[in-house]
Amino acid sequence: MEALPQTLFFGVLRSGLYALTALGLAISLGVIGVVNFAHGEFVMLGAYIGFWVYLLLSGPLDLGPAVSPLVIALGIPLSAGALFVLGRGVFRFTLRPLLSRPELDQMLLTFGMAILLQNLVSIALSPQAQDASLGWRFELLPLPGGAISVTYARISAFAVSMALVAATYVLLARTRLGKQMRAVAQNRLGAMVVGIPVDQVYEVAFGLSLALAAAAGVTLVFQTQVSPFLGLSTILKAFSIVVLAGLGNLFGVVWASLLLGVSEQVISQYVPDGSALRDGLFFLLIFVVLLARPGGLGRAR
Amino acid sequence: MSALLEAHGLVRRFRGLAAVDGLSFSVEEGQSLAIIGPNGAGKTTAFNLVSGLLAPNAGRITFRGRDVTGVRAHERCRMGLGRTFQVVQPFAELDVLGNVMVGALFGGGAASVAGARAEALRLCDMVGLGPKALWPVGGLTVPDRKRLELARALATKPVLLMLDEVMEGLTPAEEREAVGLLHRIRADGVTLLLIEHVMSTVRDLSDRVLVMDYGKPIAEGTYAEVSRDPNVIAAYLGSEEATA
Amino acid sequence: MRRELVAWLAFIAIAALLPLALTSDPYLMLLANVMLMFMALALSWDVVARTGQLSLAHGAFFGLGAYTVAIGHKYAALPPLAGLAVAGVVGAIVAVALGGVTLRLRGIYFAIATLAFGEVLRTVALQVPDVTGGTIGISMPPLFGGDRVASYYLAGAIFLLALALSLGVRYTRAHYAVTAIRTNEAVAAVMGVPVVLTKVLTFVTAAVIATLAGAFYMPFITHTDPHDAFEVSRSVAALAFPIFGGIYTSVGPVIGTVVLRSLEEYLRVTPPWKEGYQVVYGAVIVLAVLFMPRGLVGLASRMRARLSRRPEARIPILGSGR
Repeated sequence: MEALPQTLFFGVLRSGLYALTALGLAISLGVIGVVNFAHGEFVMLGAYIGFWVYLLLSGPLDLGPAVSPLVIALGIPLSAGALFVLGRGVFRFTLRPLLSRPELDQMLLTFGMAILLQNLVSIALSPQAQDASLGWRFELLPLPGGAISVTYARISAFAVSMALVAATYVLLARTRLGKQMRAVAQNRLGAMVVGIPVDQVYEVAFGLSLALAAAAGVTLVFQTQVSPFLGLSTILKAFSIVVLAGLGNLFGVVWASLLLGVSEQVISQYVPDGSALRDGLFFLLIFVVLLARPGGLGRAR
Repeated sequence: MSALLEAHGLVRRFRGLAAVDGLSFSVEEGQSLAIIGPNGAGKTTAFNLVSGLLAPNAGRITFRGRDVTGVRAHERCRMGLGRTFQVVQPFAELDVLGNVMVGALFGGGAASVAGARAEALRLCDMVGLGPKALWPVGGLTVPDRKRLELARALATKPVLLMLDEVMEGLTPAEEREAVGLLHRIRADGVTLLLIEHVMSTVRDLSDRVLVMDYGKPIAEGTYAEVSRDPNVIAAYLGSEEATA
Repeated sequence: MRRELVAWLAFIAIAALLPLALTSDPYLMLLANVMLMFMALALSWDVVARTGQLSLAHGAFFGLGAYTVAIGHKYAALPPLAGLAVAGVVGAIVAVALGGVTLRLRGIYFAIATLAFGEVLRTVALQVPDVTGGTIGISMPPLFGGDRVASYYLAGAIFLLALALSLGVRYTRAHYAVTAIRTNEAVAAVMGVPVVLTKVLTFVTAAVIATLAGAFYMPFITHTDPHDAFEVSRSVAALAFPIFGGIYTSVGPVIGTVVLRSLEEYLRVTPPWKEGYQVVYGAVIVLAVLFMPRGLVGLASRMRARLSRRPEARIPILGSGR
C-alpha cells in the first residue's frame, strides 16, 4: 500500500491533462451539439506546434534551461491562437452548412477530417513518433518526505492545464460570452428568442474548443512522444469523460476527469494485468454509464 | 366501462421546471376532447406524454383499458393511438405516397407493401392529395402538408387521433375544408383529441373542452361552460390566442 | 426494381466468370478476392447508415471474425468453414450486446461506443498473448490450400449475402422503416415503426457480415496480428467506399470499392503517399460530405434529372417511395 499516495497523486496529475482536452470537447459537443471526431487531431496539431517551438528554442537559438518554460509560455499562446482562428474558419466553411443536415453527415465530416489530418501530418512530417528530449522532462522535483516523487515536467503540465481550465471556467461563468455559450448549450431556441447571436456563439465556441485542444497538445510535449496518431487515444478518453459528466454539463468535466485519471492509475497499479484493463477502462466507463444513466451522471433529468 | 384514454396525475419536469404538473383527464369513446390554453400551458408536453415520446416523472396513462405508462410510442400507435405534429416534418426522402405508406405498414399493420400502397393511395385521395401522390414532399404547400400529416396518421388506423394545432397556418376557407374532413373522420368512428387555438374549430369538433394553464387543468366542460368560466378568462387575459 | 435486379444478375454472372479470365495472373486474382471482401464490408456499413447510424466498428468486427477463426483453429482444430460459422455467431452475440445498449440512445453515443469498441478489441488482443499471440500475431494454414479461385467463390458467397441484405432492406418494407428512422425517429415511432428493434436488427446483420468478411480474411491471408486485424483503416474504408460510390444504394458501395480500392493499390507503393494513403480517404470523405453527399450515384442521378423534361424530376431528392 506504500504506492497508494504516489498512485493517487499521479492520477490527479494525469487528470489535469484529461480535463483540458475534455473541456474543449465538452464545449463543442455541449454548446454546438456537434461530435468533433477530429478533436484529438487538433490536440496533435497543438503538440506539433509545441514541438516545433521546442526545436526552435533548443536548436538554433539554444537557450539552454530556459527552453522548457519558454516552450509553454510561447507554445501555448501560439498554438491556441492559431487553432482558435483555424477553428472558426473550419466551422464557418464546413460545419455550419451541415448543421441543418442529419447528424450522420456531421459525424462523417469530422471523422473524415480526423483521418485527413492524421495522414497529412504523417506524410508532411513523419509517421514516426518523436521525443522532446528535455532533461527537464525526467528531472525530479525535490519533495520532502519520500512518499511522492514527481518530475518537473508533469507538475508544470498539470499546473498549466488546471490554470487554463480555471480560466475557461471563469470565462464561462463571468463573461457575457460565457453566459451566452451556456445559454445556447442549455436551450438553443430559447437563446435565439432572447436575442443571442447563436451562429456567432457557435463559431467562437468551436474556436475556443480547438484552442483548448491545442494548449493540451503543447503540454503533451513534456509528457509523451509526439506522433501523428496520438489523436485516437486522446479522443476516446475525452469522450468517456464527457459522457460521464453528462452532455452539456461543462462544469462537471473536472471531477469526471479526476475519476478517470485516478481510477486509471489505481487499476494499472493494483489490479493484476491491470494495464490491459486500464486501456479498456474508458470504454467500460462509457458503456456502463450509457447503460445506467443515458444522460450521464451529472444531471438529474 | 373505462374510458378510451385516461391520464392520472401526470407530471413532467424539465431541469426542475414542471411543464406538466398534475394533469388528469379522460376521453370517452366517441366524445372528442379539445385541450386549449395559453402558450406554454403544457399542451404539447401533454401530447408527448400521451403518445409516448416522453416518460412522465409521475402519473399513469391508460389506453383502451390497458396501462400504457411504460409502453413505447410505436406500440401505442399499433394499439390505435394516432398523432399529428404541429410542425409537419415529412420524410423528405420518400414521396407523398411513401410517407403515408410508413404509417400503413407499421402502425396500420398492412400485410404487404402492395397492400400498404393501395391503402395509402386511398387515404391520399380521401384527404385530397390524390393527384400529388407521387410528388416529392419538398414541393408541397402548407395545406398540402397538413393533408399529408393527416393521411399519415390515418394510415396507422387510429381509434383515438391526437391533432396538434392542425388549423395553424390555414386560411379560413382551408379551415372549413379541414373541419369537413375531420367530421368525416369522426363519422368513421375515430375519436379526436385536439390541441387547438382556433375556437370555431373547437366549437365545431369537440364535445368537451379541457383548459390548461401552467401544466394543470383549470377548467373542464362543454365549450359554452368553459368560455364563461372566470378562471379561463383570467388565464387568457393579455394573450391574443383566443380567436373566435 | 426489376431493372436493378437484372443488372445485378448480370454483374454476378460476369463476376462468376471472372476467374476464367484471371487465372494467369495471381496478383489480380488476389485483388479480386480482396475486392469481394471489401464490397461485402462496404455494403454492410451502408445498411447501418440507412438507419442514420455511424458505425466505426466495422473494422473491429472484421478483426473479431479473423481472430475467432484463428483461435478456433488453434484450440479446437476448427476448419475454416466451421470457423466462419462460429465467427458469425460470435459477431451476432457481440453486436446484440453492443447495439442493444447503445442504439436506444442518441446516435452520437452509438458512434462513440463503436469507436471505443474497436480500440478495446485491439488492446485485448495485444494483452492476452497466450491466446492471441500478442504482437507477434496468430497463424493458420491457407484457405483451400492456397487455391485463390476457390477462395474467390467463398468471398463471393459472403458478398452475395451482403448484397442480399442491401437489396432486401431496399425492396421490402424495411426501406420505409429505415428511411423514416433516419429522418426523424420521433415521428417514425409515433407512426408505429419499432425504432430500436429496427436499428438493432440492421446493426446485428451488418455486423455479422463484417465478421464473416474477417473470418474469410484470416485463412486467406494465413497470418494476422492485432495491428493488422484491427486496423482503423478498415473501418475507414468501410465507410469511405459507400460514401464515395453512393450512400443508401447497393451499387454505390460496390463502385466505391472498385474505384477506391484500386486507387489504394497504386498509392500504397507510390511515394509520397505510401503508408499515408489514407489521406486520400480522409479527403474523399470530407469532400463527399460537403459537395457530393450522394456520391457518384447521386451525381449521375442529378445529371439525369437535369437532362430530363419532367419538372418534378428536377427536384433533387433521390429515391421515391417506390
